[in-house]
Amino acid sequence: MLFSEMTTREAFKITKQKMTEYQLEFLNRLNAIEVDAHWFRRVFHTFTASFLFYYIIPDEGWMRVVKIVIPTIIVLGMALLEARRLRGAINYQRFFGLRSYEMKRPASYLYFGLAVLILFLLFPQQIAIPCLLCASFTDPIIGETRYYLGKKRAYIIGFMVSFFIFVATWYQANWWIVILVSSLGALGALIGEAKKLKLVDDDFMIQMLPALILLLVWQGGIVLGVCILPPKMILPI
Amino acid sequence: MNKKKSIADQRTLTIQKLLIRLELWFAPLLLLLPLLVSLIFLWEWYAKGFIVGSSVYDGELLLGLIVLFGNLAFDVPFLRSIRMLKKKQ
Repeated sequence: MLFSEMTTREAFKITKQKMTEYQLEFLNRLNAIEVDAHWFRRVFHTFTASFLFYYIIPDEGWMRVVKIVIPTIIVLGMALLEARRLRGAINYQRFFGLRSYEMKRPASYLYFGLAVLILFLLFPQQIAIPCLLCASFTDPIIGETRYYLGKKRAYIIGFMVSFFIFVATWYQANWWIVILVSSLGALGALIGEAKKLKLVDDDFMIQMLPALILLLVWQGGIVLGVCILPPKMILPI
Repeated sequence: MNKKKSIADQRTLTIQKLLIRLELWFAPLLLLLPLLVSLIFLWEWYAKGFIVGSSVYDGELLLGLIVLFGNLAFDVPFLRSIRMLKKKQ
């Protein structure tokens, strides 16, 4: 049938049918995409480095309240979700990339979120930034290199990566402070990652352990009359 | 009429399947947000530090580079893994 011979109604009907078929094919193609859980977890780790955006947001007026309330609500939401999953109200299959040991305890993303919240609210950014970056990059780098080079070499590489992160974020301090802080911070991050605890996830420990060590060093320095903190790295817009 | 109904049913089923697959909806965010944040850091350094001749923003340059290259290093194998699985199918 030529187009000129069709009625408007018929043309509309054919177009609609073609559109539906195309839409279905597109949806099927999307649904056929497989995501590798292993690399998904790795990318999830490196993605968390973008949380540093938090420090670009201004600290004045109502924004200060927003900077406290929003992250707290997000972590509470995550805790609620995990509570529902553990009670069986939400099927665990809805959570892509969960490890087998996370079936009966809170998943690592909750520990990660909680550690980030504590860092943001209770620690100065000079301490929080390298600790967060260690969780973002050192953890997946150790995970990958452990697979190819073995545990020992992976931990050496992990220590070096963490050391580099601390040097890069504390470069404005005195050289002896940079070396001291980088050594302690990298060691803390490495122990936090290597030491597997039953109740607390390594994603929590890799951030909190170096942060607590540096907090003690910082406060100890203040008692002795030395402020070791360098100037802030990220200035709000 | 029956064919029309079955197409509609199939579409509903596919949409439901897609909605469950959170990882698929997360993937663009995981890839694009860190790149965007690193570009913001680099822009801040360029506009407020480099042009003005101030070194106060050098820290943001360093962070921008760490976030950018750190993410690219893992984004590439992630995207490659998706392509490999697609090829296998």
